[in-house]
Amino acid sequence: MNPPLTDAADHPVRFEDRSRQRVEHTTCYMCACRCGLQVTLQDDEQPDGSIKTRLRFLQGTAGHPVNDGVLCAKGSAGIQKQLSPAKLTQPLIRRPGTERGQGIFDPISWDEALDLLTGRLARLRSSQPRQLAFFTGRDQMQALTGLWAQQFGTPNWAAHGGFCSVNMAAAGLYSIGYSFWEFGAPDWDHARYFMMWGVAEDHASNPIKIGLEKLKRRGAKFVSVNPVRTGYSSLADEWVPVRPGTDGLLAMAMAHVLLSRELFDAEFLLRYTNAPWLVIEAPGTSRDGLFLRNAQGHPLLWDQQTQAPAIQAPGCAPAMFGRFTAPDGTAVVTAMTLMAERALADEYAPATVASQCGVPAEQIERLALEMAQVAFEQTITLPIRWTDAWGVEHDQVIGRPVAMYAMRGVSAHSNGFQTCRALHLIQMLLGALDGPGNFRARAPFPKPVPPVQLPENDAARIDAPDTACARPLLGFPTRPEDLAIDLRGRPLRIDKAYSWESPIAAHGLMHMVIRNAVEADPYPIDTLMLFMANMAWNSSMNTTGTQQMLVARDPEGQYRIPFIVVCDAFDSETVRYADLVLPDTTYFERFDAISMLDRPISEPDAAADAIRHPLLKPDRDVRPWQDVLIDLAGRLKFPAFVDEQGAPRFAGYEDFIVRYERAPGIGFLSGWRGKDGDQSLVGEPNPDQWQAYIRGKAFHAHHWPDSQKYMRFANREYLEVAARAGFIGKAEPIIMQIYSEPLQKFRLAGQGLYDGPCPERAEDRERLVRYFDPLPMWYPPIEMARTDEQMGAEAFPFHAITQRPMVMYHSWDSQNAWLRQIVAQNALYMNAQTAADLNLADGDWVLVESMHAPVQPQPGTPDHARMNTTEAHRRIRCQLRTMQGCERNTVWTWNAIGKMAGTWGLAKTSAEANAGFLLNHLISETLPARPGEASLTNSDPITGQAAWYDLKVRVRKDPDQTPPPGAAASGTLASIEGGQA
Amino acid sequence: MKPALSVIFFTVSSGAGLGLAIWLVLAQWGWAAAGGVPTADQPLLTVAGIVSLVLVIAGLLSSTQHLANPRNAWRSLARVRTSWLSREALCALLWLALAVLHGVLSQQGSSLVPWSGALLLGVSVATVVCTAMIYACLRTVPRWRTWHTPVIYLLHALLAGGLLWALLRAATGAAGGLSNGGLLLSLLALTLTVTLLYEAKFSHRVTATLNEALGVPMQAPAGQVQGRVRLLDTGHAHRTFLTQEFGFVLAREQARRLRSLMVLLTTVLPILLLLLAPPIAPVLAVACVLFLAGALVQRWLFFAQAEHVVRLYHGQSRV
Amino acid sequence: MKLGLAIDIDACVGCHACATACKEWNGESLMAGGAPDYDPQGPVPAGVWFNRVRHFEAGDYPDNRTLNVPMSCMHCEQAECVTVCPTGASYKRAEDGIVLIDPEKCMGCNYCAWACPYGARELDEQQGVMRKCTLCVDRIYDTALPEAERQPACVLACPSHARHFGDYDNPASHVSVLARERQGQSLLASLGYKPVNQYLPPRAQAQIPQPKAPPAPDTLKKRLASMVNTLIRL
Repeated sequence: MNPPLTDAADHPVRFEDRSRQRVEHTTCYMCACRCGLQVTLQDDEQPDGSIKTRLRFLQGTAGHPVNDGVLCAKGSAGIQKQLSPAKLTQPLIRRPGTERGQGIFDPISWDEALDLLTGRLARLRSSQPRQLAFFTGRDQMQALTGLWAQQFGTPNWAAHGGFCSVNMAAAGLYSIGYSFWEFGAPDWDHARYFMMWGVAEDHASNPIKIGLEKLKRRGAKFVSVNPVRTGYSSLADEWVPVRPGTDGLLAMAMAHVLLSRELFDAEFLLRYTNAPWLVIEAPGTSRDGLFLRNAQGHPLLWDQQTQAPAIQAPGCAPAMFGRFTAPDGTAVVTAMTLMAERALADEYAPATVASQCGVPAEQIERLALEMAQVAFEQTITLPIRWTDAWGVEHDQVIGRPVAMYAMRGVSAHSNGFQTCRALHLIQMLLGALDGPGNFRARAPFPKPVPPVQLPENDAARIDAPDTACARPLLGFPTRPEDLAIDLRGRPLRIDKAYSWESPIAAHGLMHMVIRNAVEADPYPIDTLMLFMANMAWNSSMNTTGTQQMLVARDPEGQYRIPFIVVCDAFDSETVRYADLVLPDTTYFERFDAISMLDRPISEPDAAADAIRHPLLKPDRDVRPWQDVLIDLAGRLKFPAFVDEQGAPRFAGYEDFIVRYERAPGIGFLSGWRGKDGDQSLVGEPNPDQWQAYIRGKAFHAHHWPDSQKYMRFANREYLEVAARAGFIGKAEPIIMQIYSEPLQKFRLAGQGLYDGPCPERAEDRERLVRYFDPLPMWYPPIEMARTDEQMGAEAFPFHAITQRPMVMYHSWDSQNAWLRQIVAQNALYMNAQTAADLNLADGDWVLVESMHAPVQPQPGTPDHARMNTTEAHRRIRCQLRTMQGCERNTVWTWNAIGKMAGTWGLAKTSAEANAGFLLNHLISETLPARPGEASLTNSDPITGQAAWYDLKVRVRKDPDQTPPPGAAASGTLASIEGGQA
Repeated sequence: MKPALSVIFFTVSSGAGLGLAIWLVLAQWGWAAAGGVPTADQPLLTVAGIVSLVLVIAGLLSSTQHLANPRNAWRSLARVRTSWLSREALCALLWLALAVLHGVLSQQGSSLVPWSGALLLGVSVATVVCTAMIYACLRTVPRWRTWHTPVIYLLHALLAGGLLWALLRAATGAAGGLSNGGLLLSLLALTLTVTLLYEAKFSHRVTATLNEALGVPMQAPAGQVQGRVRLLDTGHAHRTFLTQEFGFVLAREQARRLRSLMVLLTTVLPILLLLLAPPIAPVLAVACVLFLAGALVQRWLFFAQAEHVVRLYHGQSRV
Repeated sequence: MKLGLAIDIDACVGCHACATACKEWNGESLMAGGAPDYDPQGPVPAGVWFNRVRHFEAGDYPDNRTLNVPMSCMHCEQAECVTVCPTGASYKRAEDGIVLIDPEKCMGCNYCAWACPYGARELDEQQGVMRKCTLCVDRIYDTALPEAERQPACVLACPSHARHFGDYDNPASHVSVLARERQGQSLLASLGYKPVNQYLPPRAQAQIPQPKAPPAPDTLKKRLASMVNTLIRL
């Protein structure tokens, strides 16, 4: 029957009382996306007449370059983060006589804390500066933290990129001048084909969501290469369940198809890449594999018209293929010939790779051909006039509208760098880079390949007391001389970045710091400072082992890491292991600059950066970490932070951001520069800059005119602007590198042929020869291969990987009262058919083991990871769930849901602490050793990227099926029908 | 559905009280036709009237335990036009008023008794039917939405009332065995039949599948979504109101056992007792207890076996 | 007017932005009356949510699809939840069809929840009354908000623009057009509730033809032989 209808007048709508509300804008910090946040604040009058401001409503800022008005679940849950009872409230010092890990602290005032810390740091700085290791986790102000460490004079600084996704960043920066990860984005408005590799909820989270819907609406085809089908992959037209670690094989096979069918953009390759550059073929000599160069050092190509080497210039006609002889008799071959010889080999034919990567040959072929069809037969031309870097005028921009994006599923393997280079190869073959419909660059990229920045490697400078380092601490080595090693070839950095073990460690190796410090390999340290880095838990590869190391003592009974300082806003697992705790503010309570000098919020069409400013006053004794750093910099008299009299140069963080200039006119924030605030990208400091940003809704966008939007690696106008803005040094074309000469130089060093430093250790030589191939290639992930080799191929048959849940990515907010109602514990997912074959059922409690030896449980080790150290293998206990959308040989779980009991303000009986688990307990930060071999990091041998997706496990049913107390009911009724039948 | 003991007790208790009132009025009509209430049966009239009133009031009080915000319970008369629950509330209040009125008139031997009795009988039937219709009108619970529901409620009310009437007659010293034995046996046989038909109807019946709930075809042209739908994640880590209210899981084996028990208690055993045992108070008391226990099991199963279609969205593949 | 939502299953990635934005708005909305959380730091964190996103799979590996399905009140034309409510707390507005609850009248009997096939109503255990989606009636008519923000919180938040709001009585409205073009469906239409919210099903797979290209040679030697230079002047 029809329901009775009611007149609205009978129930008038009661609207929100806005009389005490106001709207402000800032930037979200729940993940690394940096969406614009519109905040409705409520100013409540208290009984005593005072005003208490609180958050009422969070939504996206309309018109913001990143999110244009939308906001994800994490952003909207920011209110609960601000209200979290897990917030730290004051500085703390570990009570004398107690153990690290017990979490027994006494309150201490900021003055005492900073005096203590200053005293210790000053002593270190004036004796052995490298004894300070300062590593940051999810921080978004690396331009400041890196500068601070450089000014201190220690080389031991990095953020978490080495643990996270440096392979994507580095591969791009050593190939195309920008990269997946944060330095580029797909052109959602023009792409007709989008291939996504190994992407779960990841960087640029809201832009990908916005973009995917646009693609679908426009009828573009969306292909997802991923062992798991959830999240973004739900929308894919085609899901390609690849075996973890074999994406590179798949990519090389696609390159094989494109080349064998002659489907490549010759003009793009000749003009914009080093495909035609001449490579010297002189095996056994120090020149082998290097580029032929003229007297000025410019690389040469073979001009078909003159039949002689020449430099690239308008009018020349380079040979794409061929072997030639240079006038001086040197045998040379074009880079593209070498690439073709490799890619066209049977080794990379679809039929050969199909069974290994789990993708049928016909599908590999079809996908490659589809990309080619779109690139070459659905070409876009935009009527935009632009001038290239050689002065040639073009009246249109050609778009080969195939876009790609790739992230952690490619990155977190020990072959991730080369795999990612293989993806860039495909893009170069298709001519699908920075044009309409492509993966396009985001300012301050593109930069030269690689960017011109070498890491500090002067041992004398590093060890000089009270001296700042001359160079930034992270950079892009191009040859063995750039390594941070001493005269005996030993690493200068505690994480061994830029050593023979990890030469191109562009983001450092945060995951090795604690182990290396405890092993005094390469040397011991005195003080470890951690900011927003949960090293004692999910930001480590070997969680229980790391906890053990943090409390390890030397024979005299002293902690091997004498002093640990932890700075964070919330009570995390790592806080337990601190000696000194410095509490940070939340993102609603401080200033921040999301800087053009670091990782800004640019989009392809606009160079953009953003700020945060305090909307709430902290109700506890906390200080913004940036202010503390600048305070310490003043106390320690860092040269950049004090004037000639030694007095602090900057009043605090806000002052620092406005007045600090890396070069004349180039500062942290690029908007509203100049005395009148009317210049962007470059200009004098503007004292009103913060207010200008605040008025501008907390962001600034410099929109590229059409003529500067595309092909920027060779776009003269753009390059000139970029040089003026300090993005690049000189307005020269950025030539993409199919063939990477830096890698070849390292390989020569491994062969002992390089005319300069060469490694001593056999392990290092072998790695350089094997992995530093100047051309993209695929090799089996190292730990996977060793597991099979040492344990037998089927002993640990499953690939074990993780992904981030969309509701918690990068915010790990299990303390968040709302988000933990959605996800509070994680299970291990397995393909339903695979499970059935093993007699495992949905909901079973299982034991998961890796090949590594067990680690002694620590006081905080949760029950699921309490390993019996008499057994042979590391083990955890967890619940199994079965699903269809999982590759047959893969198991996976959500990352960082499990918590240590008693942390994050959660009840000790929470599901997070009792049934949630970390796969990290099973992972080792070092490779399974071969006899006689030195300990090697379980990382990509080129970049040091932590290879935690290389893990192989076995899964069996636990005879004891009792759920742990506190395990959540599964919330499904599927069990009444016997599970997922 | 989560069986709420307060509701189960409510429907069985008030059903029994309402049924008893029906038998009481029928008996009064019989006496009136025969010339008046025998003096020996006067105590029976009074006791039955009081028991009936107590059972109904106890039931109604029990039902309010089920409310999360009982201070608004008085408002439940507002939607008689559309809501069976509203109608049931109205009938129950009318019944209380009529029961008291009829009781007073009966004590006074008023000539209006046949009329008040008729009204009372009508409202008793109406109340039982309204109670049953609260459930039977819901399209969301296929196991309730069937003619069997109000029929079984009515039959149970009549049986409970009839057995109680027989017991009270015997207990207050009425002569001549069962006055309503034949009717009771017929009602028991009818109840057995309807119960078995009901269980048979729903033993394999599928009203909706998860595929239908989401509009996903089992088969479709290539390139379109198709195939068996399964739950991947409910989107919440712990309980919700829906899982608590509608998530009750009754194991198949346990359901089977309880159904057998119910049939035994509500029909088979009472039939045997009535046929084979002497119609004395102890025997009738046993028969009452057995039946009422069976009625409680039936009502418990009524809720426990009921599957709300929202379970499809929690992963159940068929309802 | 017949106000409601169009929810695009071909755009929903299951991020729960809609569910959380709703929670945020309605936690203090005077019309919704709150959406409490029980045991927020404890072992059984639960609460009232007006919108929940559930995740399903269709088909068998490797041809399986993943479907993310947000569900909230459908503001049905045949709203049985209103019909069955004994106190009149549950009501449907004549002007625009929005179904609401007046907590002043609700007695917490749960009958409306039994009548709802979609699980749209949840009991507020602290107040003893039912709560549900209000279609943000206190946002869509609030002239103090800029016009672009006079939308339900879930629609504003959705990052993949999978939620649309409008008037189905107007055939030219955005939601009407979408429902027609994408063949929007009601969930469980067979029950006869005539839900107003329409779900837009996943589109058919995009097709790309094969390119014009020479066949692949079968040996490395032959493949390399076709790698010839053309004269391209830069």
